[in-house]
Amino acid sequence: MTWSSFIKIIVKYWPMFLRGAGVTLYIAIIGTIIGAIIGLIIGTIRTIPLPDNKAKRAILKVINTLLSMYVEVFRGTPMIVQAMVIYYGSLMLFNIDMNKMFAGIFIISINTGAYTAEIVRGGIISVDKGQFEASHAIGMNHIKTMLYVVLPQVVRNILPAMGNEFVINIKDSSVLNVISVTELFYQTSSVTGNVFRFFEPFLIASIIYLVMTLTVTRILRLIEKKMDGPENFNVIPGNQMQVARPEDMVKNSEQTRH
Amino acid sequence: MDNIIEVRHLSKSFGDNEILSDINFAVNRGEVVCIIGASGSGKSTLLRCINLLEKPSGGEILYHDNNVLDNKHDVYAYRTKLGMVFQQFNLFINHNVLSNCTIGQMKVLHRNKEEAEEVAMKYLRVVGMDQYINAKPRQLSGGMKQRVAIARALSMEPDVLLFDEPTSALDPEMVGEVLTVMKDLAKTGLTMLVVTHEMGFANEVADRVVFMDQGLIAEEGTPKEIFNNPKQERTREFLRRILRDAKPE
Repeated sequence: MTWSSFIKIIVKYWPMFLRGAGVTLYIAIIGTIIGAIIGLIIGTIRTIPLPDNKAKRAILKVINTLLSMYVEVFRGTPMIVQAMVIYYGSLMLFNIDMNKMFAGIFIISINTGAYTAEIVRGGIISVDKGQFEASHAIGMNHIKTMLYVVLPQVVRNILPAMGNEFVINIKDSSVLNVISVTELFYQTSSVTGNVFRFFEPFLIASIIYLVMTLTVTRILRLIEKKMDGPENFNVIPGNQMQVARPEDMVKNSEQTRH
Repeated sequence: MDNIIEVRHLSKSFGDNEILSDINFAVNRGEVVCIIGASGSGKSTLLRCINLLEKPSGGEILYHDNNVLDNKHDVYAYRTKLGMVFQQFNLFINHNVLSNCTIGQMKVLHRNKEEAEEVAMKYLRVVGMDQYINAKPRQLSGGMKQRVAIARALSMEPDVLLFDEPTSALDPEMVGEVLTVMKDLAKTGLTMLVVTHEMGFANEVADRVVFMDQGLIAEEGTPKEIFNNPKQERTREFLRRILRDAKPE
């Protein structure tokens, strides 16, 4: 009976599923945040206007080329392959035995970074040119303009795309089972080894994945609303009434009557 | 003469297209200079060249007798001395009214928060927007936005205030409130350089009017000289056209 074994598996193995889900969520959250930071930094560097000074110009061009290479390499190869190359490569070539969790977060982060760099670049380009000009006109340099004016707007605008990245990371962290990171897919595989059934454990895993992605989407929607701020604002009553409002006129006429 | 900005032989081209050629003029302390002229005559480009939003192709811009086009000159420090008011307001949409006026003071002039807010409130009162400090730019009308933009520029306590067609993007009923603020500012002795299509404003407030045509300064003089007794045929022609449009039958 499928249904009874479904229940039995949940009752017996729920700590394994839960631990797997925890690891998946942990890797996805940390990976997305670090990836977003990488993306913001790269996006900012790639939109620096070319300076007049020749030496600075050359340096910037070299940096931009390196960054393009990074983006192209990590966007252009599957993450499952990157995981193998980075984890076993660092072991073989440099004799570094990476902590598996660290390796997992590292791979997710640089992958997300590569995608986010392009999202951020698009976000920066789409900010009104007037915002840059106004910042420059009050004496801000590129970094200040970015930090205080442009990037806050970019972050708001790319939030839906970042939510996408987050959801993708929750799902795609499953490929990290090839380097034995104990995330949800890996744990589910272990359960199948114990119960000799495939359908029920993976059905459970898919439900857990779905719950995680749906929750994340809802939370991000709330954050977006919060960032937009309230629809209304308070008018602060002042002494100098330059703009008279109807309610003030009523108040004034009442005062004169008394 | 105590001139703040002096432009010498300034030229600007976009590719083969020459927008400004051999512009010479100066702005003296306490003076209100209005630049008038047809669309495409290079007025805005001249203003944008002065605060280096556009890089001039040739010539010199002297600020207190130092050439700001010199590579060693600190562009950012120079820009804090020039306030700029844009046609499209360009308020920082992620900041509220108060923080639009404090962010530059805090991050560029390194004033502390209390001082910056005090200065900002002072100028927001001048433009009559002190009640709206919590509002975001998207919640304000065009006229209100432009008044906040003026307060933002004033909060940096610049030597000169540059206005790039400050009323051209406004609905007709909002033009008045912005012009009133600008007239009040002119009376305080603030140095202003104003690119405008408002001939009435130029006539009433300006100490000097500069008429530009096809990238050149065609004529320069007091409002009386320019509006009542223009020497050049093209100035006369421009004024005839403008005044006819202003008063439809």
